[in-house]
This record gives sequence, structure tokens and C-alpha cells, in this order.
Amino acid sequence: MSKKKSGIWFFFASVRLAIVLLLVIAFFVMIGTLFPQREAAVELAGRIPPGLFSFLQKMQVFDLYHSVWFFILMGLLTVNLLICSLDRFPAAWRRFRSSPVPRDPDAFKDLPEENFFYPELDVKKAADAAVSLLKKKYYSIKRADEASSVYLCAHKGRFAHLGVYMVHLSVLGLICGAVIGSVFGIEGSVKMLEGETVSGISLRHGNSTMPLPFSVRCDKFTIERYKNGAPKLFQSDLTFFKNDRAVWSVKLLVNHPVDFEGFRFYQASYGSAPGKKATLALLRDGGRRDIMNVSAGYRFELPGNEGTFQILRVEDNMMQMGQAVKIAVRSEKEVATFWVFREIDRIRQVIPDVFEQVPAFNPGLFRPYTFSLLGIEEKYYTGLQVNRDPGTPVVASAAVLLICGLMIVIFSYARQIWVRIDQDEGRIRIGIAGRSIRNKVGLKREVRHLLAQLKDNLENPK
Amino acid sequence: MINTAILSWVTFIYFGAFVFYLFRMMLGREFWGKLAGWIALAGLIAQSVALIIRWKTSYDLGIGHAPLSNFYESLIFFAWTVVFLYLLMEQRLKNRSIGVFVMPVAFLIMAYASIAPGINNRIEPLIPALQSNWLTSHVLTCFMGYAAFTVTFALGIMFFVRKAAAHDASGVRAFIHLLPSESQIDDLIYSCAALGFIFLTLGIVTGSVWAHYAWGSYWSWDPKETWSFITWITYAVMLHVRLVRGWRGLRMAIMAIIGFACVLFTYLGVNLLPSLHSYL
Repeated sequence: MSKKKSGIWFFFASVRLAIVLLLVIAFFVMIGTLFPQREAAVELAGRIPPGLFSFLQKMQVFDLYHSVWFFILMGLLTVNLLICSLDRFPAAWRRFRSSPVPRDPDAFKDLPEENFFYPELDVKKAADAAVSLLKKKYYSIKRADEASSVYLCAHKGRFAHLGVYMVHLSVLGLICGAVIGSVFGIEGSVKMLEGETVSGISLRHGNSTMPLPFSVRCDKFTIERYKNGAPKLFQSDLTFFKNDRAVWSVKLLVNHPVDFEGFRFYQASYGSAPGKKATLALLRDGGRRDIMNVSAGYRFELPGNEGTFQILRVEDNMMQMGQAVKIAVRSEKEVATFWVFREIDRIRQVIPDVFEQVPAFNPGLFRPYTFSLLGIEEKYYTGLQVNRDPGTPVVASAAVLLICGLMIVIFSYARQIWVRIDQDEGRIRIGIAGRSIRNKVGLKREVRHLLAQLKDNLENPK
Repeated sequence: MINTAILSWVTFIYFGAFVFYLFRMMLGREFWGKLAGWIALAGLIAQSVALIIRWKTSYDLGIGHAPLSNFYESLIFFAWTVVFLYLLMEQRLKNRSIGVFVMPVAFLIMAYASIAPGINNRIEPLIPALQSNWLTSHVLTCFMGYAAFTVTFALGIMFFVRKAAAHDASGVRAFIHLLPSESQIDDLIYSCAALGFIFLTLGIVTGSVWAHYAWGSYWSWDPKETWSFITWITYAVMLHVRLVRGWRGLRMAIMAIIGFACVLFTYLGVNLLPSLHSYL
């Protein structure tokens, strides 16, 4: 730090500037809650004149928290905080290092009468009692014996002098971590259908995509619901691939992100994809039963190689008769097209001769197979957020420092205590004085308490 | 449900405590103050019991979670922390005159929870975003902070009442001597604001940690986050002007009221803005 402090130094060292800056920042971020930000701003575009919109956009009103204005404000605050702390720290450090001396001429100046009492003891005994009391509560007790008097001093809470600098340092740490995050961090997202494999993410800033050094497949997306219909669980079953080899399969849940090669994946959103997904069972007479998940357009080989079948339609409610799938089976001889109803047994109870009336409702139309529909589900895509933020550890440690610093500033205070035992008009007199910059009220109470305790200890020795 | 029935009774108990604190003020008899203190304590115990029952009921329903998960539960817990903090203060300070300023706030919060339209008092299962261990610590610390700021606000109002009454030379002076002195109120305002500030900081930090796990970002300038930041700055300024620039008395009382306005907006007003915090 330079010895010659310029006008700029004083400008930035002032607390008044800090207060003004904080208020300006508070007002500034408040504006940001009134205007839609980022993606949400598009909706406003249609409701206000285009000229106004583009002006506001140019002023970065729609991305206020990443705007030049905000960076300038935070930059000013950083400089202010830094200079303000550097300006005051040496004095605080001296106070932290200094310890009281027993014979402090100022300590007992103008001490009110209530801070004295007169025990019926000799000086030495009183001094020993005072030392043992101070030892219980204070640090580095010092003693100076004189002919007919004893001086004691002690202190406590020295770290309170430094607490405020811990807080300031932690705020700088938070800003620093945020800057690291915004410069080196990656914020991306990816949407994938069940069964789909991706190896790149779209970045939030700009419309670019970024390739990943690995690929990831969504094996399954699950929603569970409570009885009242509210969602209970969103889960993506993911498999990570490295050089086309599956290396890790994991369930991704909300609130439980997973890490892979420095990227962190979050379950962020989901949605229904076009098309539905049916679970179909396929029984070959006297043979095995296959179960498969299919969507419209899917084409499969029949297990006995008699041909292929294709899913033509997946319907939630076909002709008021419930869920159904339309299937076309192609063999060398024929093409059979028919519907497979989930509730076919109930339909046949109501209309016993339904297969004769409508052959296309017979799920066993293509011999020797019988299809049955086990269920139809919505087809989903899962939306993942993919981040990398090297600033997070910095922010986390700054937050810990912030809380520790605040605790020190608010719950502790530095004080020095003096005890003087001398003689006043032939009587032994004990006086207790204290000094604290921050908490005069608390100190007064503490000294009063100390007096009462010492008096009690002297009158009722254990 | 039994817990909501108890909670609506607690509303009236708090009102009763307020009325008796008022009697103490008017009549200058400490008897009313003691009675009010005991009634408030009884209300707090009943409310605690109701909250525990509610907690247990949620487990019986198979959707067990702490009763801190929707707007109704947050209001109830808010009132609980306010009364808890106040009774703690009464115990430590041996002064019952703050009750007449704090209890009506607790009563109003409870009443709002019971009668405001559109407030759902059923026990609901947790949606995936809320299924986190951070829910309890985040809500707990935030509302301890809110409660401390509410008491700070009550003290600010008390400061104004005392100042106004001191100028008025007529008979109302009787109750003035029951109030703490202006400098005592000022010290209390500082202590409560400082306590609230620590809890708000803890609340914001726990919220950030949670957001880091749930949303993939420890800070995303969601309106609730932003307003909690504004509130934090307001109280940071309040502490600075006192500690560094030596503001006392009236100015601190005004700051206490401005700060509380920010708290209210963070808690309630933000719901008017689109937000990720839509459930609280």
C-alpha cells in the first residue's frame, strides 16, 4: 500500500460510497425482477412497440444480471470493498496484536463509584482471587505488583477486530467465484427421447452446441404420480458411453444430480414426445411369448421368420372401446391388417361374435400368432441440464467464511479488562474497569457482573 | 383435521394474549402482562403440538415430511417463530412491553393462514423438487430470519409510539414508563436485526446449496432469490450505518420498517412475479 494516498484512494475507501453502491445495486436488481429476463422476454416483444423493445434490448434490460451496467456496478463495489478494507485493516491488525498493560493510566480515569467495592481482606489475597476469576473468563492475564497495590489486566474477543475483514474477504470471494463461473463455466442442456443417444449439448449462451467427450443414452424416463395427480418422481435412467463402450448406468433424479467426467447432469424437465408407446405381447402357438415396447412406425421381424409386422397406429381410445394398436403383418403370401384391443375379452363378452362381424378386430388374425396389448403409455423426452462450474468451490468456501465472519462480528466483541487493588483512606479498594470500542452496553453489564462475582468469591471463599 | 382445528384456536389465543398485553399497557398493572405472557406461552405450546401432530399425520398418510412445504405451513411456522423469538426475548429482558407490538403480528399471520382465500391447509405430498434434506434447513433458517426481522419491525413501531407519546404531555404518559428507554429500544433493534441478518444469510446460503443440487446453479436470479438479496443488502446497509456511521434511534427505527417491507415483499410480493419458488 502506498504511503501517499490520493484522492481516488479516499473516494474508494469511504463507507458512504459502499452504502450508496449497495443501495444502487439493490435498486438495480429490483428492476430485473420487474422486467422479464432472458428467454421470458420474448413474450413481452409482442406486447410493446418494437422500437421500445429493441431500445430496451440494446440497454440490456432483458439480461440485466449479465449486462455491462451490472458488471460496472459489481466492479465498483469490488474496488470499494478492497480499498475500504485495505485502508482500515492495518489499524485493526494493530488492535488485534496489541495487548493491554496492567498500569494503564487512562483505564481508571473517571471510573464511577459503582465500579468499586471495599473488601475486608489483604491486598495479596484479593489479588489472587481476582486472578483466578479472570483466568476463567479471559486471556493473557498480566499482573503488576507495587508496594501497596496490585494491577491486573486481561482481554478477550480479539478476533472480533478481524471478523469484519473476513466478511469483506468472503464477499470478494463470492464475486470472484461468480466471475470464474461465468468465464470458465459451461451451462448447457439437452433433450432426448427414450432410447436416444446424444453426444453434444446446446449451450445456453448463444445458439451453439458443444460436443461432449462422451455420449449418453436415455434408456427410460419414468414419472410416478401421487393419488392426487401431483408428480412424485421424475427419473431418467442414463447410460454413459466412452469410445462406444457403456461405462456407467445410473438413475438421475431431481435433487440428485450425477457427475461424469467433470460435467454435472441435472434432471431439469420432461415433456411428451409426439406418438405413444405401446407394450405388446406376442404369443406364437405352442411357442414363446415376447414382450416389446413399440411406437407407431416401428417394424419388427416375427420370431418364427414368417415375415415382418409393423405398428401402424397407437390409439388411446379406439371407437369408444379403449386402447388399441393397429398392426400390419407382411409375409410372402399375404398382408394382414388388424386391431389389437387391450380390453378384447370384455369386448367379446358384450359382442360374442365380434370376430365374425369384424375380422379386423381379431388379434389372432395372422396364424399362428396372437397379439395382446398390455398397455399404452405417453412417450416422453427428458430434459437434462448439463453444467460445469469451476467457480462453485470458491463460492462455497466464501460462503463458509461469510457465515463465520458474521458470527464473529455479531456474537463476539473485543474488550480489555483492568482490575486495580489499592488502598483508599486505610481501606482495601478493588476497582474494575473495561474498554471496548464496539459494545459499551454489553461491557458495562459484564463489568457489573464481574464485580458481583469477585465480591461473592471474596466473601464466601470455597 | 385435528391439527388445523388446534391451529385456528391458537389464532384466538394469540389475539387474547395481545388483548391482555394491551390491558397491561392501559392499566399499568403487571398482572395483565404476566397473564398475557402465560397465555402466549400456552398458545405456543398448543401450536407446537399441532405442528407435531401435523408432522406425524403426514407420515401416517405415507407422504412423511416436515410441515414446511406449502404456503399455509410456512405461514403457521412463521407465526410460531415470531412468538417463540418474542417469548425468548421477554424471558431474557424481563420486559413485557414489546408483546403488545409483536403479538398482533403473530395473530394476523395466523388469521391470514386460516381465512385468506386460496390457501390450502391440507397435507400434501412433496413434489420432486421439494424432496430434499435441504428443505427443512432452508425453511427453518429463512423463517428464523423473517421472525427476527418481524420483531425488529415491532420494535421500530414501538420506538415511534414512544417518541410520539413522549411529546404528548397529556394523561397517556402512564404507560410510557413501562416501555424501555429510547436507547434500550435502539440496542434491541440492532440486536434483532443482526440476529435476523445471520439467519437470512444462512437461509440464502442453504437455499443456494439446495439450488445447486436441484436446479444446477447456486444462483439463478429468480425473483425470490433476487428479493432475498435486496433484503440482505437493506439489512447490511442498516448494520453498516449503525456500526460505521453511528446512526441511532429514529433512523434505525425507519430502517427497521423499510427492511420489514423488503421481507414482506420477498415472502409474499414475489408471488405476484413469475418465479421458480411458486410453491411457497
